[in-house]
Amino acid sequence: MTVIHPNMTDEGAKIRARDVCVYYGDKKAIDEVSIDISPNYVTAFIGPSGCGKSTFLRCFNRMNDTIGTAKVTGLIELDGEDIHGNRMDVVQLRARVGMVFQKPNPFPKSIYENIAYGPKIHGLAEKKADLDVVVERSLTRAGLWDEVKDRLDDSGTALSGGQQQRLCIARAIAVDPEVILMDEPASALDPIATAKIEELIDELSGRYAIVIVTHSMQQAARVSQRTAFFHLGKMVEYGPTSEIFTNPIEERTKDYITGRYG
Amino acid sequence: MSPITLILIALGLGLVGWLAGRAKAWSFQSGAAAQRTASRPVYHAWYVALWVVIPVLVFVIAWSIIAPQLVLQSVLASPAAEALPAFGFERDAFIGEARAVALGQAPGVFNDEAEALIGPFRDAFGRYNTIGLIVTVLIALAGGALAFLRLRPQFGARTKVERTVMMILLLASLVAILTTMGIFASLVFETVRFFGMVSPIDFLFGTKWGPDTMASPDAIDPSRYGAVPLFWGTIFIGAIIAMIVAIPLGLMSAIYLTQYADPRVRTWIKPLLELLAGVPTVVYGYFAALTLAPMIRDAAVAIGITSASTESALAAGIVMGVMIIPFVSSMADDSMAAVPGAMRDGSLAMGATKSETIRRVLFPAALPGIVAGIMLAVSRAIGETMIVVMAASPAANLTANPLEPMSTVTVQIVKLLTGEQSTDHPATLSAYALGFVLFMVTLALNFIALRVVKRFREAYE
Repeated sequence: MTVIHPNMTDEGAKIRARDVCVYYGDKKAIDEVSIDISPNYVTAFIGPSGCGKSTFLRCFNRMNDTIGTAKVTGLIELDGEDIHGNRMDVVQLRARVGMVFQKPNPFPKSIYENIAYGPKIHGLAEKKADLDVVVERSLTRAGLWDEVKDRLDDSGTALSGGQQQRLCIARAIAVDPEVILMDEPASALDPIATAKIEELIDELSGRYAIVIVTHSMQQAARVSQRTAFFHLGKMVEYGPTSEIFTNPIEERTKDYITGRYG
Repeated sequence: MSPITLILIALGLGLVGWLAGRAKAWSFQSGAAAQRTASRPVYHAWYVALWVVIPVLVFVIAWSIIAPQLVLQSVLASPAAEALPAFGFERDAFIGEARAVALGQAPGVFNDEAEALIGPFRDAFGRYNTIGLIVTVLIALAGGALAFLRLRPQFGARTKVERTVMMILLLASLVAILTTMGIFASLVFETVRFFGMVSPIDFLFGTKWGPDTMASPDAIDPSRYGAVPLFWGTIFIGAIIAMIVAIPLGLMSAIYLTQYADPRVRTWIKPLLELLAGVPTVVYGYFAALTLAPMIRDAAVAIGITSASTESALAAGIVMGVMIIPFVSSMADDSMAAVPGAMRDGSLAMGATKSETIRRVLFPAALPGIVAGIMLAVSRAIGETMIVVMAASPAANLTANPLEPMSTVTVQIVKLLTGEQSTDHPATLSAYALGFVLFMVTLALNFIALRVVKRFREAYE
């Protein structure tokens, strides 16, 4: 049974998940998870490796659809709209719910084209001048503009790892999403690049609902206001980050955050 | 005594050496003074065996080249040889007959003059066989003894065997390289001879091809050796028509297989497609000549093109295109599969559809590999012989009409080098010049393609 801390009920829910299960073939990876994601906060999913936190994150933009053997059941709503419903177009859903992956994955195109990719395919900006504006705004919000403004035509893959990840964040921002999902966005980066990403997450929160998966508890504590602890495919405890880390209710949560396992 | 016998003897002695080496190594490990050996007994065994066999092999190879010369010399030195004609065809025939009888390969002589040489040949063979046998055994024993005496508990037989294995593998790979270099050298040599008779300018830029094999080598008409119609025919059939067929079909099947096909479907279709590459080209030739070419001619006549030929470039090109689909598709398949899955996920997560992802991300990322695949396919197509020999024409026309007969470089090479020809006639030599040009072009295409593939691989590793 999930323990949900009180006094989070009046926040409203950007994403509402009810009794979500994910199966890979016969294996149940996520077992009846229900959660409300607040629009105003950064929500962190923590838990030991293999607990299903990344799998659950990928439900929100239906990236599990791309895995042939994966099956998702239960209800997930974005602003009250069923994301598996007939009226929901997965392409539109992914434009509204952006994603940043564990390993930076810029396209092998120029920096400019990397950012312009989303606006182009969604028809958000047709003219070059409009695209220029979107590219500059996205890179500025991702804190990368000053570093790359003189070499927008260079390949995105030529940037450093940390810059590549901020490029990927800028790319996600460029289509003006409502939610940004981040799957261990700093785990492949060095401490300085990690600090920059965390700073960036801080700046972006409020404008976007952010859900971040991390296996670094310090990172969860630093960047998030809400934390959900996952274990063996179940959500064990969900509450304000400060309470989860200082005053957890469940024994397993306590064991994990004090480093007894995981 | 044939080289085979000598090698069998060497292998037998090698086995003895092997057993002896192992026995000695075992003796290090047992008894009162037992100690750890640096190598397992089997390596000691192999070390001795290799020292027996390899020197013998070297000797046998050298001996099988030298011995016949020694035999011949001793026969010629015999008194019976004085009756032979000084040189010429008859002399060679007599010697050959006598040798065959002496070796037991022929029942008797045809020319009586050869009769007298049989005895000296028998003597010489007997003598040199004995020498060969004795030397073989001596070398084997010497090698084996030397190796056997070197065995010590701390002897590094293992590394020595390892090094020998490496040398053998190196030799094996050298064979292929040396053969290629030999082919290249012979091509260059004959090509230079040809260019001594017909200037390279006439050959490379002349527009009329029709070597006259009957003309006297002294009165060559260089204007009949203009290879441009052949180069054009080769490019038109192999690099234009075939590619118009192969590139779209190959790429689309690769995209289907890597991006859309169910894994179960893929395990069926991919081998089937690659089977196309294994069909003997002569079978494609049948199909082109007997099925497709008449169909194309009939279709052309039906729409009012009466000049259409049954030996059209179109038929040969289309069938060749089908033949090289697997080359294009398997390279495209590999390079699209080599694009990291993260790239695809990144695009899908941006809300791109599957076909947008393929078109805008996967395809551009895989492009270098795809281009390299196409270049390899072109080099394969322009070097292809059988289909064009059967379906295209021997007549070298310089035209852009695909319904006209057209000839290729390979067709002309086949035509010039089959049947009776004189080895120093320019018409024959021109085949080497054509081969040389073809060789250089395919070499360049392969070289560029491999460079591109290498850089592409580096980009993702």
